[in-house]
Amino acid sequence: MSLLSVRDLSVSIGTLCPVDGVSFEIERGETLALLGESGCGKSMTALALMRLLPPGGSIVQGAIHFADEDLCCLTEAQMRHVRGGKLGMIFQEPATSLNPVMTVGEQIAEALRFHAGNETRVIELLAAVGIPDPERRAREYPFQMSGGMKQRAMIAMALAGAPELLIADEPTTALDVTIQAQVLDVLDGLRRARGMAILLITHDLGVVARMADQIGLMYAGQLVEMAPRAAFFAAPGHPYARRLFEALPEMAMTNEGQRRLATIPGSVPPLGTVFTGCRFADRCSEVLPVCHRELPPWREHGPAHRVRCHLEVRAEQSVRKVGAGETASVDVSAPPQALLTVRELKVHFPIRRGVLQRAVGYVRAVDGVDLALPAGRTLALVGESGCGKTTVGKAILGLQAPTAGDIHWQAEKLQGLAPERMQMVFQDPFGSLNPRMRICEIVAEGRPGADVARILEQVSLSASMADRYPHEFSGGQRQRIAIARALAVEPQVLICDEPTSALDVSVQAQILNLLAELQQTLGLSYLFITHNIGVVNHLAHEVAVMYLGRIVERGTVDEVLRAPRHPYTQALLAAVPRIDGQRMDVKVAGDPPSPSNPPAGCHFHPRCPRAEACCREAYPPAVSVSTTQTVNCFFAN
Amino acid sequence: MLAYLIRRLLYALPILIGVNVITFALFFIVNTPDDMARMQLGVKRVTPEAIEKWKAERGYDKPLFWNTQASGAGQVAETIFFDKSVKMFALDFGRADDGRDIAREITQRMGPSLAVAVPVFALGLFTAISFALLLVYFRATYLDFAGVVLCVAMMSVSGLFYIIGGQWLVSKIWHLVPISGYAEGLSAAKFIILPVIISVLAGIGSSARWYRTIFLEEYTRDYVRTARAKGLSERFVLFRHVLRNALIPILTGAVVVIPTLFMGSLLIEAFFGIPGLGSYTIDAINAQDFAVVRAMVFIGSALYIVGLLLTDISYTLVDPRIRLS
Amino acid sequence: MTSFKFVLLWSDALFFLLIAAVIAGGVWSRRQPHLRANWRKVGQNRVAMGSAAVLAVFFAIAFIDSLHYRPQLPNVDQGEVRYSTEVLSALDALLMPMRTQTEKTYSAPLATHLFAKETLDDAGRDYPPLRYPGTHVFGTDKVGQDVLYLTLKSIRTALLIGTLTTLIMLPAAIGLGLLAGYVGGWVDDVIQYLYTTLNSIPGVLLIAASVLMMQVVIDTHPEWFATSAERADARLLALCAILGITSWTGLCRLLRGETLKLRELEYVQAARALGVSSARILWRHILPNVMHIVLIAMVMDFSGLVLAEAVLSYVGIGVDPNTISFGTMINTARMELAREPMVWWSLAAAFIFMFVLVLAANLFADALRDAFDPRASR
Repeated sequence: MSLLSVRDLSVSIGTLCPVDGVSFEIERGETLALLGESGCGKSMTALALMRLLPPGGSIVQGAIHFADEDLCCLTEAQMRHVRGGKLGMIFQEPATSLNPVMTVGEQIAEALRFHAGNETRVIELLAAVGIPDPERRAREYPFQMSGGMKQRAMIAMALAGAPELLIADEPTTALDVTIQAQVLDVLDGLRRARGMAILLITHDLGVVARMADQIGLMYAGQLVEMAPRAAFFAAPGHPYARRLFEALPEMAMTNEGQRRLATIPGSVPPLGTVFTGCRFADRCSEVLPVCHRELPPWREHGPAHRVRCHLEVRAEQSVRKVGAGETASVDVSAPPQALLTVRELKVHFPIRRGVLQRAVGYVRAVDGVDLALPAGRTLALVGESGCGKTTVGKAILGLQAPTAGDIHWQAEKLQGLAPERMQMVFQDPFGSLNPRMRICEIVAEGRPGADVARILEQVSLSASMADRYPHEFSGGQRQRIAIARALAVEPQVLICDEPTSALDVSVQAQILNLLAELQQTLGLSYLFITHNIGVVNHLAHEVAVMYLGRIVERGTVDEVLRAPRHPYTQALLAAVPRIDGQRMDVKVAGDPPSPSNPPAGCHFHPRCPRAEACCREAYPPAVSVSTTQTVNCFFAN
Repeated sequence: MLAYLIRRLLYALPILIGVNVITFALFFIVNTPDDMARMQLGVKRVTPEAIEKWKAERGYDKPLFWNTQASGAGQVAETIFFDKSVKMFALDFGRADDGRDIAREITQRMGPSLAVAVPVFALGLFTAISFALLLVYFRATYLDFAGVVLCVAMMSVSGLFYIIGGQWLVSKIWHLVPISGYAEGLSAAKFIILPVIISVLAGIGSSARWYRTIFLEEYTRDYVRTARAKGLSERFVLFRHVLRNALIPILTGAVVVIPTLFMGSLLIEAFFGIPGLGSYTIDAINAQDFAVVRAMVFIGSALYIVGLLLTDISYTLVDPRIRLS
Repeated sequence: MTSFKFVLLWSDALFFLLIAAVIAGGVWSRRQPHLRANWRKVGQNRVAMGSAAVLAVFFAIAFIDSLHYRPQLPNVDQGEVRYSTEVLSALDALLMPMRTQTEKTYSAPLATHLFAKETLDDAGRDYPPLRYPGTHVFGTDKVGQDVLYLTLKSIRTALLIGTLTTLIMLPAAIGLGLLAGYVGGWVDDVIQYLYTTLNSIPGVLLIAASVLMMQVVIDTHPEWFATSAERADARLLALCAILGITSWTGLCRLLRGETLKLRELEYVQAARALGVSSARILWRHILPNVMHIVLIAMVMDFSGLVLAEAVLSYVGIGVDPNTISFGTMINTARMELAREPMVWWSLAAAFIFMFVLVLAANLFADALRDAFDPRASR
């Protein structure tokens, strides 16, 4: 008897049906990952299990058996004992998921009181999730904790009722990779120690590879593939699964010289679409006539591996080697003359205190950054949130006045904006287009009278879209429009600030391909700001790694990603969950310090496994380990 | 924290000066003292002597800003601006048209004003929050709907009708309490009870509806979902989590009016014959007693600024996010 | 048919301007797909459409009442054409029987006889019969004027106060709010100082002081006004302006906050990166994205202003005592309540009309907010 068995579950919200006939089982002590892109119904499935659907939502059919109980038949009062008792749940946003005006201890005690009848184990629970100094932390309010700490506190809270199943809804999506690695370790450790099952909801194949025993792949409200981890990663059966793998920029890691990712055309169908037949049929490259007519049956693909597809695929032919399109070789010759040079760039924000609001200190968001961007090349600026990488981009562009340092365009010193030379592509495809303007107005904003039709075609959009408004477009299309707007003024440099991090993997690949194409045809240079190592590997020529306002390591992609010398770079790379399931054992502890009060000496020394006395005293100078690679570490050699 | 409060206090000073300058401009520059005299004495058939006499009685015969006839400090001090505006900072408001000292009058009338305004404030806040809680507890039911309809209907009735209707029903038809008047000490209760009930009733519609939206907005927050996921009951979620968070904006929003309670309510006091500052102001307006109106404007602004300061302080006390950072 | 001379009072002109602006705005927003979707939401709300219908009737009455003219006086001496100093409106003409069919004094609704006994010529003291029995739906007041007529005339005053006030304060609130939020720095400091200072003066007192001063100006310059209607109109507009000055601060602060948020949005950053000028960013990016707040504030303020007019006029710092308004009606009616037997109909008429107007405005405002405010959940 499985711990949890879900049969044919369907959920409706108003007229929409975000979950449609989902069935799966979870055994005791096992981790099932529900994998899928945004809007596929995975979070709704989790909320349905807890019977916490949003207003207007209800379970329209199906059964949820937990241990021996049918959760759908319980009264609300009985269900309350299950929630937080046998079934614990944690959410994506630790920042908003805790009550801001109650101490963390109080919030855990509340759950303990209800489920265990006493509240003595608060400290023990906090210690169990690896929170240092739990007595003090229990008395703190959520805003006093870092994101990682808050997520640990959430886990401690969910553990209060000693749950047999923990539902974790995108538990690390809002966290940086080094923190994500810590939290995933906590979850996995708890699972082993307590024999607790985990239902992990995620969109991240890397996290799945790191955590899951079983995998359920969802698409548009339905499960399309169920498999054990090894089988899924070795031979995904559903065309959607295979395309997802091919779209991953990480896959290019093993395929030198491939610059074009396989993409899935179109985007995830919006909620409310009426389907007949296979829901993936419209985007499937192997579509058969029957796919449009009939809902495919479940098919055995391997041992315990089932796929919902009309097509019979044998395991060995399942993943096409990456590089479905034409290939282009990475230019590895010596970098040409720098187009854009940044020297000693500093951006400090004053912290004002006291009666007269005098600056008592500075947030050193950017603290002495040197960069050189050659024409036609891509420089990736990599770092975790708060390291100052976005501020570097804005300062170079002229949106943010630098405190010190200068920016040169070839030999000419730049002051303020240079819209004809540099443009920016922003992260949020929904915030970057004015909802009150038509596409043609948006694209022509920088250059009135621009040939909108031609520019739209350049980014593979149809000219007929020019008269429509942004809300009619999907995230990927919006990002193309944002790129078109930047291209309209014919800049030579594009500063891309996390342009794909808000997009689904399948759409991300489209945008990355577009950027690569534009670089080839227009000779653009990119300053690519990102935290996603996979994207860096795919797109960049050179990499600079930033930590707390400074660049700690730079070099070519091969040097930095394959032979990192700085302990931070090593830890960062190790923390990225890899889809081959391999783990490196370089771990980094703790949270990044605040840029208003950076540690003396090397900024990284409090978290560095190799720190010695000298690291505490002086900031390490840049050490050249090759003609292109420099590292700010005393132990670079 | 202390520095913050000092800074707020220092910031209040220019505001008070600004208020003073605005009032001065309004009373002495938009119209000259001659205009006011002519208006008070009747526009037609007024002799220049009568105007001069009227101005001299009130000290309006001096120059506005600069006295060329005086010497030394008197050049500044013997002016209308110094006399009528600067002295207000020392709480010297001069005399009303009937010759009484305004400052004395104000201290005497504060008591009756507070006797009505404080119960109205406390009771009004309590009933509105309770009513809103009730609606939120039964949210998305017919009870909630009916409650909201009642709120909208109640806030669509002019305050005048509450007062007129209440007086007519309770005093004239039922003869429960005197229709108006006031007495010192405990016997004031019978005069106060009706105005208090009417004020609370008149205000409950809009404030209960406003609080309800605050509660409901709080209900959409992620931490509410977390609390439910812990297995807590709806009642527990409402009273322990939602109420605690919603009360921060509600209470700190209410704090700002506390100092202005001294000013009393114009309408209520006028209707019920309560000898407070509200009716004092109304009488002054009707008698066109500019000195009193000017004094009340200044005091009202000063009290409002104190209220803003109290709001800041109460935020730092109630909200841990501000208290601890 | 006597001829007449068309009179355009300042408040009429502004009111027509407002109606034209509303119509133009309606036509414009039909062409904006996102606005059309919002309006469709309002249209689907039955309560909102009912309220809108009621409001439309009120506005129609106010509109007719704003077409002013001066009738020609009977030509006694065959000389030049002379016009009455009394300014009438199209509504007066429409309601001619109601306006002119006055009684001697109080009469109850639809009564046939006067309300109080009088000594009659023939038969001692009795209730004298009315001149126009059974025609006064809401009875007549002390001087025998039809109460329904007075109530209908009050509507224009209420609507003018409710709409012109917002119209007058809108440019200041929008301009300063956007400027403070977008430019920041010392501009922001000055604007914040300005509205905190104005805000700190208790509203009623500021209004009282300003109205008193305005009255002095009006009284000392009788030569400015040709007719008493113009005088009353000046006071009405002054009141609107004063109410506007005391109420722009709220909207200004709201817009400043929203602009601060919008300024950081990526599409504004993108526009700056493209070298678009600040003025153009404010016009193309910020303004269209705060207009829903302006619209909501306008309709939300309306009912409050209608209620405020009544209170202020009651206290004596509202409209000119000769202007017919709900406030002045209630003021006189209150004394009548103390009579024995009680005269209740004036108060009842004012209550019913005001209640219906304000309730409709509140319900419509709610529906509008729900449809236009992206944060409104339900």
